[in-house]
Amino acid sequence: MAAKEERSWLWRKVGFWFVPVRAGTLGPEEWAKVRKMSRTGKNRRTRRLFALLWVPALAFEIAVSLRMVRLDPWAGLISAAWLTVLMGLAVRACRIGFAQVSLEDRAVIEYGVEFDALKERQRGEVFQRAVRDGLFGRVKVDEHEAEQRLRAQGAAYRLLGPGLVVFVAGYWGVCLFGPFESTRSALAVTAVVVTWLSALVLAAPTMIRMWTQPDEPGETAGVAE
Amino acid sequence: MLIRNELVYTSIMSLHNRIAVLRAEKKLSRAMLASSVGVNPQTIGFLERGDYAPSLELAFKIAEHFGLPVEAVFSPRPFRTLSEQVYELHKREA
Repeated sequence: MAAKEERSWLWRKVGFWFVPVRAGTLGPEEWAKVRKMSRTGKNRRTRRLFALLWVPALAFEIAVSLRMVRLDPWAGLISAAWLTVLMGLAVRACRIGFAQVSLEDRAVIEYGVEFDALKERQRGEVFQRAVRDGLFGRVKVDEHEAEQRLRAQGAAYRLLGPGLVVFVAGYWGVCLFGPFESTRSALAVTAVVVTWLSALVLAAPTMIRMWTQPDEPGETAGVAE
Repeated sequence: MLIRNELVYTSIMSLHNRIAVLRAEKKLSRAMLASSVGVNPQTIGFLERGDYAPSLELAFKIAEHFGLPVEAVFSPRPFRTLSEQVYELHKREA
């Protein structure tokens, strides 16, 4: 406990939530906070909050990239690429997070006892491993994980369909009626490309199914076999 | 529309199971069962809570792990409690 007293105010209030702790250095109150924080981070309300925050984050990315592209096209490209990488890392972190079990379950899996029954050193080790796996862990794709991904992708695609149609209609509207007299024909070319790209995306699932679906076995063939 | 589809899908997929009871009987943790049937520990939790209906392959693997027929572990209708069933069996025998 003496070591705990020596820590700064910032560490005591905030730091230990984010920094992997040295084994055997937290008190019971701090462990209670760590466990509460861990549970809060995994619950549906928090996940939905992060999902909602993703929309303004995306808007921020677009705004920054647009500002940069006005300064210099290459700066715009670098900014968009960098922000896309950051977004990709965030999505990866979310996927890894789904695969992580709670600290309590970890205690049972790794030591065969409840978290409260662990020694102080073991609690520290469980937490360290949880943080390490949360940052660098791998996701084992079992049938439940695969199904969840498929359902999420299906739902995203169902949202994307009408969204793309509205986007293409809006794009054509801006191209045809916007104040771009000098560049209208060039913009119309991009509108045609956007339209056909959207059609390609929307038709892709059916095309993939046409490519992959096996031949239907006829009734007589089925009986004969 | 999206949410309605999800709800319909969930209701179609509802499947009852006795995994939690069987696990308790055998003193088996979720992780042990999960590693034995080749899934994540969370998947066993989702199965027990009824949030996920397993594939036929996984259902058979789980039933095989407990040494029971698949219909003793999974059912499309809610299971009666084991105490009810044992009581009825005793009554029938008497």
